[in-house]
Amino acid sequence: MMRAFGWVYMALAYAFIFLPVVTLVLFSFQDGRLPVPPFDGPTLKWYADVLGDSRLTSALVNSLVVGVGSAALSCVLGFLAAYGLARHVLPGSVFMRGVLIAPLTVSYLIIGLGLLIVFNRVGPGPSLWAAGAGHVVINLPLAFAIIYASMGAQQENAERAARDLGASDVKVLALVTVPMLAPAILAAFFLSFTFSWDEFIIAFLLTRFEVTLPVEIWSLLRSGLSPRTNAIGSVVFLVSVVLVVGLELFLFGRKRH
Amino acid sequence: MAGARDTVRGWGFVAPALLWTLAFFVVPFVVMAAMSLATLEGRELIWGVSLENYRRLFGQAYLFRAILVSVEITLTVTVVSVVLAYPLAWIIAFRVPERWQRLALLLAILPFWTSYVVRSYAWLLVLAREGIINKALIGLGLISEPLTLASTRFATVTGFVHFFVMLLTLTIYANLVQLSPNYRRAAIDLGANGWQAFRHVILPLTLPGIVTGAFLTFVLCIGDYITPQILGGNNELTGPQIIMVQLGRGANFPLAAAMSIVLMALVTLAYLAAARWLRLDRI
Amino acid sequence: MTKPTPPRRVQIATATCLALLPCAAQAAESLNALVWCDHTDPALIEPFETANDVKVNRREYEGTATALALLEQSRPGDWDVLVIDSIDVPRVIDAGLMAELPRDQLPLDDFFGTVEMKDSTSRDGKIYAVTDKFGYNTISFNSDKVDPADMQDMATAWSDKYKDRIAIYDYYIPVMGLVAIADGFKTAELTADDLPALKKTLFTMKENARSVGEVVASQTALATGEVDIVVGGGEWLTAVLAEENPNLTWTIPDQGAVRWSEAIGVLAASEKKDLAAKFVEYIVSPEGQARLATSSCYWGMPANRKAGEHLTDAQKSVLRWDEQDNYLKRAQLYPAPDADLDQKMQDVWLEMLQH
Repeated sequence: MMRAFGWVYMALAYAFIFLPVVTLVLFSFQDGRLPVPPFDGPTLKWYADVLGDSRLTSALVNSLVVGVGSAALSCVLGFLAAYGLARHVLPGSVFMRGVLIAPLTVSYLIIGLGLLIVFNRVGPGPSLWAAGAGHVVINLPLAFAIIYASMGAQQENAERAARDLGASDVKVLALVTVPMLAPAILAAFFLSFTFSWDEFIIAFLLTRFEVTLPVEIWSLLRSGLSPRTNAIGSVVFLVSVVLVVGLELFLFGRKRH
Repeated sequence: MAGARDTVRGWGFVAPALLWTLAFFVVPFVVMAAMSLATLEGRELIWGVSLENYRRLFGQAYLFRAILVSVEITLTVTVVSVVLAYPLAWIIAFRVPERWQRLALLLAILPFWTSYVVRSYAWLLVLAREGIINKALIGLGLISEPLTLASTRFATVTGFVHFFVMLLTLTIYANLVQLSPNYRRAAIDLGANGWQAFRHVILPLTLPGIVTGAFLTFVLCIGDYITPQILGGNNELTGPQIIMVQLGRGANFPLAAAMSIVLMALVTLAYLAAARWLRLDRI
Repeated sequence: MTKPTPPRRVQIATATCLALLPCAAQAAESLNALVWCDHTDPALIEPFETANDVKVNRREYEGTATALALLEQSRPGDWDVLVIDSIDVPRVIDAGLMAELPRDQLPLDDFFGTVEMKDSTSRDGKIYAVTDKFGYNTISFNSDKVDPADMQDMATAWSDKYKDRIAIYDYYIPVMGLVAIADGFKTAELTADDLPALKKTLFTMKENARSVGEVVASQTALATGEVDIVVGGGEWLTAVLAEENPNLTWTIPDQGAVRWSEAIGVLAASEKKDLAAKFVEYIVSPEGQARLATSSCYWGMPANRKAGEHLTDAQKSVLRWDEQDNYLKRAQLYPAPDADLDQKMQDVWLEMLQH
């Protein structure tokens, strides 16, 4: 009985999770100007329209670059900080942890507003670089927290063992710590990428002409109702699915052999 | 191990992240806090120490209401999301065979990868008067007239919950599978009378994960502009919507900054509540 | 369980991506334009870009005050072209932000009667901006669901007869202008003293409204039957819907309506004034005007009559081309508040939203 209830619950939950996505994709094939029932179609014209739009495609590339770049930098900075704090006795370490985690407790809008006020007066002014810097601010605490939380006694013992066997510090870091923490680092990377990829408000406030995809989609959305929005949304979804499934097979599939 | 040399090296590891956070988070935040004490005369920005903006936020009913609306929506979303996500994470962790768990999780967070902006828009289409839900309910004969779903607080909350259920399923699942195999085995063996084992063993052990996820939900939700803007139909405004209106129409940075500080204070309260009872400060 | 290998491929991919970052494609020259969304349509911009081997970067903004703040914080050369409410042009001239336009290059003689708005766009005989598009903020509705006769009276259109079937367009200036007209005020003479009266009408309207939304939200609401009336709508809202559902239409009520009007000009701080002026000339040319009129973001009447030669009869009929003389007579311009009244109007609007 409980078991059946569990499966029903799971089915309902997945239905809820996929409902908007299915609707989105379905009406991207709408043969008409309005992406609402009743469904006419299917047609691929909105896809042709969207893929031929250089602004959307360049925004897509911008988003990938900002996402990968900011996630990678977040992971590097986060890993170093986590290692420094977990393996060294530092005065004021509680305070430093607090400072590093602090951006996690602040809304993106507020981080974006602060950076906007500052960048308006000094620095490069609004640009993709500014948005990328903002994305590192939001993802660094995440990467740090995830990696720091998984730095347990297990790894420390292994590190100590390696050191006792004569391995240098760099070797310990590269051959013991990083591999042992790889799941956490990867999780941090993908979570960071996801947050950057999806992030709207910081990118909206901090970019000017070259924008990320969410910002471009926002202006598309504001400019009127059209299955184009469904089409670009579906393209993003498709790219993500391919990416996620590909990584799943590529990164995690290999190690099973 | 705790020599001076070790300390210096430790600093070296921490310094890059710390400097980044200082330059791009602490400094902008201080400038913004100063901005919230400035005033706008005509279009001219007067720096100073004035509480005028805060007086307006708490004194003018329509601004104060935005703060209340934000808090109400955020608390609702946080509670509902946790309650919905926990069983899902549980089922994936303990009911789904281990070799399928990764796939199940992948599916559960796949829509997470669509564009956030588009997802809110998709909910608008789903909840519309002529949308799928109303069509289905009418088709099943459950209602005769379409329900008013879009452009309401319900729509805003639904859009939020959708996003955060995915996020929380992920964090709670991670927490559940980290339980020692003994607990997991116990959990899998839980029968109809397993409630107490859950209540006294599993739940306390997974509480840190829940609270971390719930807190993240609180932070992301209270500062979000898109979801209420697209789904709420502007029938009531949240704090972030007030901020964006101030930026977009009036270039009133001081008032926007003050609203930001108020939202931050709310997050700080939530943090203190969470940290005090659940020792979140361990991370 | 075996240990996963370090994600070296990810690192390589990251490095590659970072290396690619600075080399965004560049045309020989570029113009930076601060505009409304109808001026961002590639179908409008690309012909100019191709003809002049130039990249036109465009950034949208919402309120005039925000554009002013942005321009005043910018460095010389940051911005070349500005699109702004015609009624706000004096504010940017006052701020010394606009450069003079070459009169002999502008086809002002071909413009519809009064739309040039010489008083706003020129000063001391010098032209600082030129009106390029206009239209109406009025009542859009579904003629299948509401009585079109009711729509001729604004007070009926937003009365409780249509409770919960009304959406309000979320921009305070035109809708408050419309309310002012319904209440018997002149939009040009609006003062802070009139606001309590407007507030009362706005509150009534809000009580009967289902939602308050921007362009797409209002369109969605009307197209999906969520609402049957959009206060503040007009040809710009229903033009793209008309093809699908001819019942979605608009009218100018007996009391009148608000006329919106946008103007384009070259910024004084531009370092490419000649190229920028050329862009302005393109926008007001018959071809540019036809493309602007049917821009993907929203449609609107071109200021230049000769655009008609490049528009189809169907497009003209959606724009109500032949009725413009009558409409222009009956509509009043956007209110043009100063900074202080502007702030007060925004406050009233927010109060209405929270009502």
